[in-house]
Parts: sequence; C-alpha cells; structure tokens
Amino acid sequence: MRRAVITGMGAVCAIGRDIPSILDGLKHGRSGVRRMEQWSSYKGLNCQVGAPAELTGEKLIPRQNRRSMGRMGIFTVQAAEQAVADAALDRALLTTGRAGSIVGSTMGGGEAISEAFEIMVPTKDISDLPPMKFFQCVAHTASLNLAQHFSIRGSVMATSAACSSGLQAIGTAADLIRLGRQDIVLAGGAEELHATVAASFDVLFATSTHFNDDPSRTPRPFDRDRDGLVCGEGSGIVVVEEYEHAMRRGARILAEIAGYATTASGLHVSQSNGESIIECMTGAMAEAGVDPTGIDYISAHATATQQGDQEEVAAIRRLFGDRVPVSGLKGYIGHTLGASGAVELIMSLAMMKNGTIYPTRNLENLASDCEGIYHVREPLERKIRTVLKNCFAFGGISTCLVCRTL
Amino acid sequence: MTDQDIVRMTNEVFADTFEVPAEDLLPEKHMFNDLGLDSLDTVDLIVALQKKFGVQLRSDERVKSVRTLADLYKYIGVVMAEMKTRAGGGH
Repeated sequence: MRRAVITGMGAVCAIGRDIPSILDGLKHGRSGVRRMEQWSSYKGLNCQVGAPAELTGEKLIPRQNRRSMGRMGIFTVQAAEQAVADAALDRALLTTGRAGSIVGSTMGGGEAISEAFEIMVPTKDISDLPPMKFFQCVAHTASLNLAQHFSIRGSVMATSAACSSGLQAIGTAADLIRLGRQDIVLAGGAEELHATVAASFDVLFATSTHFNDDPSRTPRPFDRDRDGLVCGEGSGIVVVEEYEHAMRRGARILAEIAGYATTASGLHVSQSNGESIIECMTGAMAEAGVDPTGIDYISAHATATQQGDQEEVAAIRRLFGDRVPVSGLKGYIGHTLGASGAVELIMSLAMMKNGTIYPTRNLENLASDCEGIYHVREPLERKIRTVLKNCFAFGGISTCLVCRTL
Repeated sequence: MTDQDIVRMTNEVFADTFEVPAEDLLPEKHMFNDLGLDSLDTVDLIVALQKKFGVQLRSDERVKSVRTLADLYKYIGVVMAEMKTRAGGGH
C-alpha cells in the first residue's frame, strides 16, 4: 500500500509568521490574543478579543496572483511557500498534474463576503462590485489561490467542515496519495479573523466574554474559569507526499500520516459527544496500527468551551487514562477554526522535532470536569514518536489524525 | 475638471489598483501589452474608474475599444463632458 508522509510544513498565525517564530512564541509562553477595537461597533457582540496574524510581505506575491486573494489566501500562499522550501521541493513537480491542493476553511473569505454584501445589499446594485471579490469570497478561495500561485494542475479542492476543515484537508490529501491519485498534495487550512465569524460563535454563547480587558488570559482550555473560545486566523500548510516519491528525491521525512478518521455523532448540531470522539480517536489509531499505549502526545482540540473541553477530556480519560501527555494550543494562537487542525498539527510536529511538549497556556486552576488526564502544565522534555491530533466541529463532527516519525 | 485632472486621476487608479510604476504611465502605453493588465483587470478597472469619477461605465460599449492610456484619457474626457451636458451646463 502506498504511504503518505509529510516532507515540509509552514504556518502563519498570531504568535509568528514562520515555524521558528511560532516555536519561540511557544517557548516564551506568548499570547497572540488582542482586544479588537473595531469590533465595538457591532451591537450585541460580547466577545471583543481575537488573535490576529500580522499581514505583511504580501507584495512578494505577484499582483496577478494576489488580486484574487483575501487575507486568508495570502496567509495560505505564505505558509505554502515555507512548506515547499522546507521540503526542498522542486516547484516544477507541482505542475505535472500529479500534485494537488486541498485547503479547508469554515466559510471562505469572511472579509470579502462582508464587503461584497455591503456593496450589493443596501443599493440592490452590483455596478460597483469588483469582479475579483468572487475569488476572495468562495469556500475554496484558499485552495484555488494556492493552486494558481504554484501552477498546480492536479486535484484542487476545499474541505469545509468548520473547525475540522484543516485536518480533514490533510487526511484527504493522505487518502489521495494512498489511492494513487496524486504523488504530492499541498494541504492544510486557512482562516481570516472577522467580526462576522466571531459573531457566529458569539450568538451561540460559545465565545469568551469575561477577559475583554485582559486578552492574554483567554482562552483558558481545561481551566476552572474557562468561558469560551477566542477566534484567531492564519494558515498551516504541509507537503503531503507519497513515501517512495519522497525517498527517490532524497527528501527529509518529518512524519508519516499513519492514521486518519473523521466521524459524526448524528446527535447534535453543535455539541461535542464523548462517545463519538472515542470512535474517531479509535479509528485513527486502528488505521495507524497503534493502541493507546503507542501514542506519545495528544494535541487536544480544547477550545475552552465548557461542554467541548469536558467531552474531550472524558473521551481521552477513557482511552488513555492519565498516561499520555495532553496539551491544547489555543491559549497561544486563539482558535484558528478551519486552519486550526493544520496549524496545531504543524506546531505539534515542530514540538516532536524539538523534543519538547509545550503546556496548555492559561491553564492555571484545573477544572474538576477536566481532571483525570495527563495535562502538560510546564514545558516537558520528551521524545515524541507518535502524535494524535484532535479536531471537533459544528455538525457533531470529529476528526483525528495520527502522525509518527519513521 | 481639466484634462490634466483626468490624466492624474486615471493614473492614480493604475498606480493604486494595478501597482503600475509612475514612470510607466505614458499615454502611448497599451494596457494589455505594456502595462500587464488582462481581461479580469479591465472589469476591476471599470469599477475603479466609476468610483473615481462618479460615472457609470459598465454598460457603455465604447469602453471596449479602449487600448492605450491615451484612448482612456480621451474616453473619460468624453464621458465627463456628456455628463456635464446632461447635468445642464456644469452647475
């Protein structure tokens, strides 16, 4: 059977615009969460904090490629450029038709969608609608822009399952490689921070609202005082490559994508379900041929919502007890939603490479409903061979990926 | 609005929207061959010019024959003059 491996990775998020700066942010416990001053104009939006990534260097992307990109398109291409360089990949290999692009996001370009409606709706007139807006809005904006930028001619698609989107993209890339449809896929997730996106969680009372004046103290995964998620933005892209293809060109292999599963609970549109999470984690481990004793680190979804964290901990506790180190990374970078699975997997692979597991930021007082698992509270020097990444999404969707070193 | 105003404002659109360097904004320059625009850019150009000059250009067939910057300056001048006439003598 063909095997899928990761040979390069790149990321942009609130604490850094490349892997070294993100690792430095983790090492120093930095928070990327800020008060979003411009959000105060939205009536009823209780959450006033977000985790913006710095948008810079975009003019390095040729204008004719850049014109169809919103923020998330730019972040995606910047992350992908890092990944391609990290993989020492000859760019000509991306143009053969044997290479594809899969990038997930929650809903496409939130900023462009909002701008387009602001132009069209009040006047019912499309005369002033810039034509490039369409390409910045669509659900596959990140994927199509990535493909255009690298002249990719293989499969170009966008997974869209809210906060599972990015991890589903990487899992789908592995599937395409295993099936023999592609030899290389640039895969990951992208998201841009916008009040309309935060509002969709705010109306469901899922956002953090008690730390608007003290942004760095939220989100607080697994903590007694956790009060919801904080939206972030950015992109994470990995080069997923067929194992023999990577070996032939002498590529350095960061990890194998050993197991992947995505499931749904069929029970509730917004709430996580522990049993369904167990099924998903079990499915990913079964495909990887490991049992819970074979996992060295769990990168939790851990959004810092009451119910979500509780269900995830219950599932981890049941399968792993308190044996496997667990941390959540959203206290550093916010919840990058459709990008989160990819960005946090990349952060976990960087930790794997470094031999240090970074702790759950803002976990100060462990909540009683989150006890019974091995919470990483301080940087932990540990050899990680196998990592399990969790992502859960509206729709009762769970997505889990197991990566291991070779 | 003078002819100089039209040239200046049109050039501003090319600089702001299409990042064309000022030294390339010469009347004889062809929008596609010299300035690097393509068919998608022309729709963006129309929207940007509409906003800049406060006119409607999307449904005007004459815009399709514009090729060089000189053509464009001339065309905008004609459109602005027509608008002035319609408005009753430029009050």
